[in-house]
Amino acid sequence: MKPDKPEIKKLYALSNDGHKIPFTLPLKNIIRFNGRDYRIELREDEKYGVHVLWKNRRYPVEIVRTKQNRYEILFNDISHIFTIETPISMQRKKVLGSTQAGNENHIVRAPMPGKIIDVIVRENTEVIRGEALVILEAMKMQNEIQSLVNGTVTRIGVKPGQNVMKDDMLAEIKVK
Amino acid sequence: MDINGKYFKSYLEREDAFKKQYNAERIKKQHSKGKLTAHERIALLFDAGSFEEIDAYVTPLDTGVEFGKVEKSYGDGVVTGHGKIDGRLVFAFAQDFTIMGGSLGIVHARKIAKVQEMALKMGAPFIGINDSGGARIQEGIASLSGYAVIFNNIIQSSGIIPQISVVMGPAAGGAVYSPALTDWVFMTSHTSYMFVTGPNVVKEVLNEVISSEDLGGAEVHARKSGVANMIYDDEENTIIAVRKLLSYLPSNNLENPPVVAWENDTPEVNEKLRDIVPDDPNKAYDVRDVINLIADRNSFFETSELFAPNIVTGFCRMEGRTIGIVANQPKVLAGVLDIDSSTKGARFIRFCDAFNIPILTLEDVPGFLPGKDQEHAGIIRHGAKLLFAYAEATVPRITVILRKAYGGAYIVMNSRGLGGDFNYAWPSAEIAVMGPDGAVAILYRRELAEAKDPAALKKELVKKYRDKVANPFIADEKGYIDEVIDPAMTRMKVLSAFSALSNKSVKVPSRKHGNMPL
Amino acid sequence: MRKIKKILIANRGEIAVRIMRTAHAMGIKCVAIRTAAEPNAMYLSSADLIHDEVDETAEIPVFLDIDKLISIARATKCDALHPGYGFLAENAYFADQCRDNRIIFIGPSPDSIYKMGNKTVARQIALKHRIPMAMGSPGSIADEDEALKHAARIGYPVIIKAASGGGGRGMRIVRQSSEMEKMFTLASREAEKAFNDPSVFIEKYIENPKHIEFQILGDMHGNIIHLGERECSIQRKHQKLLEEAPSPALDEELREKMGSLAVRIAKAVGYYSAGTVEFLLDSDRNFYFMEMNTRIQVEHPVTEMITGIDLIEQQIRVAMGEELTIRQEDVRLTGWAIECRINAEDVQAGFAPAPGRIEKISFPEGPGIRVDTGVSAGSSIVAAYDSMIAKLIVTGSDRRHAITNTKLALDKVWIKGTKTTLPFFRMLMRNNLFQSGSFTTAFIEKDIERYHCNSEYEEMIAAWLATKLFVEENLTEKKNNISFGQGKELTPWLLRKRLTQF
Repeated sequence: MKPDKPEIKKLYALSNDGHKIPFTLPLKNIIRFNGRDYRIELREDEKYGVHVLWKNRRYPVEIVRTKQNRYEILFNDISHIFTIETPISMQRKKVLGSTQAGNENHIVRAPMPGKIIDVIVRENTEVIRGEALVILEAMKMQNEIQSLVNGTVTRIGVKPGQNVMKDDMLAEIKVK
Repeated sequence: MDINGKYFKSYLEREDAFKKQYNAERIKKQHSKGKLTAHERIALLFDAGSFEEIDAYVTPLDTGVEFGKVEKSYGDGVVTGHGKIDGRLVFAFAQDFTIMGGSLGIVHARKIAKVQEMALKMGAPFIGINDSGGARIQEGIASLSGYAVIFNNIIQSSGIIPQISVVMGPAAGGAVYSPALTDWVFMTSHTSYMFVTGPNVVKEVLNEVISSEDLGGAEVHARKSGVANMIYDDEENTIIAVRKLLSYLPSNNLENPPVVAWENDTPEVNEKLRDIVPDDPNKAYDVRDVINLIADRNSFFETSELFAPNIVTGFCRMEGRTIGIVANQPKVLAGVLDIDSSTKGARFIRFCDAFNIPILTLEDVPGFLPGKDQEHAGIIRHGAKLLFAYAEATVPRITVILRKAYGGAYIVMNSRGLGGDFNYAWPSAEIAVMGPDGAVAILYRRELAEAKDPAALKKELVKKYRDKVANPFIADEKGYIDEVIDPAMTRMKVLSAFSALSNKSVKVPSRKHGNMPL
Repeated sequence: MRKIKKILIANRGEIAVRIMRTAHAMGIKCVAIRTAAEPNAMYLSSADLIHDEVDETAEIPVFLDIDKLISIARATKCDALHPGYGFLAENAYFADQCRDNRIIFIGPSPDSIYKMGNKTVARQIALKHRIPMAMGSPGSIADEDEALKHAARIGYPVIIKAASGGGGRGMRIVRQSSEMEKMFTLASREAEKAFNDPSVFIEKYIENPKHIEFQILGDMHGNIIHLGERECSIQRKHQKLLEEAPSPALDEELREKMGSLAVRIAKAVGYYSAGTVEFLLDSDRNFYFMEMNTRIQVEHPVTEMITGIDLIEQQIRVAMGEELTIRQEDVRLTGWAIECRINAEDVQAGFAPAPGRIEKISFPEGPGIRVDTGVSAGSSIVAAYDSMIAKLIVTGSDRRHAITNTKLALDKVWIKGTKTTLPFFRMLMRNNLFQSGSFTTAFIEKDIERYHCNSEYEEMIAAWLATKLFVEENLTEKKNNISFGQGKELTPWLLRKRLTQF
């Protein structure tokens, strides 16, 4: 049997707070907003660096971070995080979401005794898996403690300058 | 042949039965678990229309109803064949969980063995998509011997053709060795598991309750055991990544890795490189920032990212050519070498060596992780692996020392004595037997004890040590470093060095194989 | 009268640039100090002479090191020293040391710095001169019991404040007597840590006031005037984010009343140079003296824009012993000015500092737009100092026009390399409560839900960009890009090795 490569006709940009913005492929340089079509272009030049041209105005843009299908875009000084899903992966999200325990609280613990040098995130910050939460110094070495989950920081248990023992609570994250 | 005649009709009838087997209900069953079917995965993996399935109509062994029933089906639960990925020949199998739980029977195993042998004959990469309940109990020992043949084939091909496993479902008991023996293991989060003994038996024997996910899920293997090298949130991304990884690798060990048309958009000289290493030696930075500025834009593919994050390994391209990168990561555990990072680095280096991929080492290592835990667990043995792997590798090897390079760790990270071809250092490099604080404490123990203001004296001595002993210019003048370079020119220097090394050919002593500490 | 020919700028960043701009216009030379933390900082290029202070092992930063600053001033033969704001600007001992070493301290006398710096002393002076104040303890309080007694007299809620400092540290609000013990301990401990003095006093806590401050200018001959007020209620954790002049809450009558009281308290300590008297204005238009800041302030530009007076110039003239040429009746407030403090902070993460390297920076130009900055492309925002990138000051003929002009100016600010507080100000200009002018200091904490507005189209554009990247990376067939052929072309040298090695 010769399986057909599924032709992807639609993509969804999923934001952190659940907004789903659909795009049909092939992707055109046009955005539909409030019933009208606007032309959009991504450009790069010496003077402005990478920027977006829209409605005759230039906007600064920076691609901060990309991981798999997750993109953090800094547009007009505001950070937007999106994951780009195909119809298949949307389906999978739906299926898995219903079977998984939602809204669990994940506790981040100190992997070794040391001193907290810096607390990088604040309460109510959204974090993604792998993002740095605190810097823990142990034996003169700086160690970045990373989040293991995607979610929102609900509590920070330490302050810069504080000494911690192994397994002390560093932060609590509400899992998305 | 008359297409309306009886021969062609039988052909069409069978085709029909085949399609009926892969009906919507079966597909829905797989989708309801958030998984794709074997054929869908194959379709995503291979270039459109290039896949040719082999042995599609094979039926399982009729055991004569000894123990349990065997479902009569075409294919015996696995899709095997060949196709093109990015235009190059690749052989693959994809287990089909919807047929008898993808369990491995003797026919299923023979199918896999067939494509494995072909891959070895053609010198083409081999990919296995695992999604199976394990050995087919009904078939007894025949299943087990099926596994043995598969494992043997992997081992015979190891280091000759790249072999990649993609675990997208359960892989338990003996089945785990199939991925474990291959070069790279991909897993999909939440819908795949690997363990030798499942939770049920664990509960029975040890009275320990643990879920499949916690025992052997993707996260566990990516982070703790190191068995999984790359994990992704969903299957499409996993397969996209497999294709991506393949694009860095040659088809077999006689070829050089493929060259990619390169856009010429990475500057050879980049001043940003000067800003990355902080002046304060106790402050960390992300070595991936360095990698991203040296390599072709967006070409860095990190492997085993979540395991032993204190060492970074991965493939990148420079002027379109694949380069393997091994780099200490100062922002995790200060970049020390420990058991996990030593084994991670060693395996990566040996893979690169087997497949003619040159290695670039970025060094900033203060030493090995001290402590009872590491010593008792054998840091000596495991650290030796990294040393062995470096010295054994005959591919071009270049080191750039970014900051710290102390003692044993300096030797291990591809130093000149181990056969490193070119060793460069940044002006911020500190190459010494040990760090300034430790050295000063030992060499001037008496003076510090007798001093009126020991803290001030120590500060002064540390500064003197940094100036006189640990600075890279001395190593340069003595010939242990080839050159101290301007960080901004790193890419340029590395490119020209690799270019000079492109014809490197080293005579390997003839022996069956070395005895690397394991 | 002593002519000043050379000034040591004991500060950095935008205020250093600001001071040097005026000094140069007056024909005065300036000496700046280079530190290891930012050896290429922008302010250094304005200086006539740079003193290198690159000792990395120093315990305290040079701008806080009194002895070192004095010795630098002497070594570089400076007649005067300007402390800017922050650092040692309100350190009476420092002002004293300058005087002892015959260096003109461009600021008020050590005595007035001390008197106004100690909050309890300031309160006593205010009390003596019948300046309206929030009810409070006459001096510092010894312990919780005394605190409870005063609190009972004043009536809850009360606020415990540090006697020797401000800025939110050593401050605790107490709403009921049961909290007193805990808050007292916390406040005095924090005060000790921050200002080396655990003494605290108690005041009535005024809920949701407006923060109104008056700019004072005095000379050494006893002339003191006020230059109108500034509205500084947009604060977050006692840090001002936006200031405007004048205040939408004041009419001529109130301005006259508060202004003359500000002058009165300044006169009470024989103040000269620039200073600021802070008041709290409650919802019933009652005002209470809070404290006096004996230095030039960050937000001084808004006052300059509506009065046309260069405050730094006036400071220098006063320091030289000149008499003020401006009389109170000459002071006219024309138009409206708004200042946005653009910091390197991540608004989405609750104003968390976002240090980084400024890659590109450009500001709008034009009449009515003033930018005070100490940062240029290539500068790094270092964690060692503050996170200020620039102050954007925009004027208009009235408040409405000032807001509109600020909105337009904000959209033209282009900063690449780090996250900034620009989204906050863009949101603020469109916020109804802000536009009405009746916001209070509770605005940020209580009256807004988010620190930025997420316009729909911005989200769509970001989504489109992300999708475009995804498509480019994953869905475009790059088959033609990869050449396997090149990997198969081996030189005979290599081929021989590979064929014979097994």
